[in-house]
Amino acid sequence: MWDETFEETLRGFLPFLPPGEALAEDTPLREFGLDSLGTIELLGRLEAAYDIRFLDDALTLETFETPAVLWKTVSGLLPGVQA
Amino acid sequence: MTTKRTAMVFPGMGPASFEDVGRFMVANRFARELVSVADEVLGYSLVDAFREADGDYSEAAQVAFLVNCLASAEWARSVLGVEAEAVLGASFGEKAAVAFSRALPVAEAVRMTAELARLMDDYFSREHTDVVVLSFVRTPEEKLAEILAELDAQGEWHDISCYIDEGFFMLSLRESRVEWMQQRLRSIGGMPLYTMRPPLHSGAFGGLREEVEREVLSTLSFTDPKLPVVADQDGALLTTAEQVRTMLLDSITRPLRWPDALAGLKEFGVERVCVAGPDSLFGRVSCTTANFEVLPANPRLAMTPRRRSALG
Repeated sequence: MWDETFEETLRGFLPFLPPGEALAEDTPLREFGLDSLGTIELLGRLEAAYDIRFLDDALTLETFETPAVLWKTVSGLLPGVQA
Repeated sequence: MTTKRTAMVFPGMGPASFEDVGRFMVANRFARELVSVADEVLGYSLVDAFREADGDYSEAAQVAFLVNCLASAEWARSVLGVEAEAVLGASFGEKAAVAFSRALPVAEAVRMTAELARLMDDYFSREHTDVVVLSFVRTPEEKLAEILAELDAQGEWHDISCYIDEGFFMLSLRESRVEWMQQRLRSIGGMPLYTMRPPLHSGAFGGLREEVEREVLSTLSFTDPKLPVVADQDGALLTTAEQVRTMLLDSITRPLRWPDALAGLKEFGVERVCVAGPDSLFGRVSCTTANFEVLPANPRLAMTPRRRSALG
């Protein structure tokens, strides 16, 4: 499961997710308000927060479909951390 | 109260589904009035045709986008009290800008939009049938130049159709090179977004420019705009009928340069932009938000009940 930084960062880009509602692994991010420009900004925030750089296959819109897929990508880029 | 100098900005056309705007078109008083003008010009019901249309860029979808942008601007003027001193339209948004400036009456702008949609459909079914536009971000211009040089070395045609923001471009190329291009962009940290068709804004489409001039624009009488129109190709301030007409034609063959267009607004003294119409791009990229106060006016906001206090 993801950490607090990820949860907080991601929630900031989901205007249609009520504050009390839990973020599930398969929450469809687009349906909760993550659009193209939001995706680009979120990408930049995650890179800054975790000091990582998305490259190659990570840079697709599919990476941003659900919290689980996105976290798998982020954690896969972290040094020495298991997804 | 001092009012910031404001420009009306009409966004380029993106996919806007009937579900997003249908209620606005039948319930909003400004939209209803414009829809009835459109119905008369088109000879069919715009709302019905849009509801049943296939694809994001059908004739009905294009006219509906024009109508919804103009209705959003009327709503901004009447309800938000926006007084625009200049107008700028991005790509498709030029058509709304021309109508808003009254260089063409609304009915004529509707007819032009419908006829251009048909003509473009026909043209791209015959010509450049394999060309698409790929949008991407996070690509510094000098790195992009290296990749484009590789395409040149492969003997592949390409053209930058839109300069949207720093590192944000739309490139026309053959569909068969899209996958290669996407991989190449990702390898330098760039992020490909979407591919679109029909393409636009390239010197390769001179044939379309000629057809448009001959078959559509020659049937329209432009008058001098009532407020300056800023060209989205270079930020030039246009004040005559002929300049506005030329902008519409140039849009077919010259790239959209959004940062330059915004620089033109800034030079004119504009501090605030009212983005009128459904928009998920032009009012939100950093070259817009870093330089202007942005006031969105769109069908979704117009359909949201407003508290009296919010009206100021």
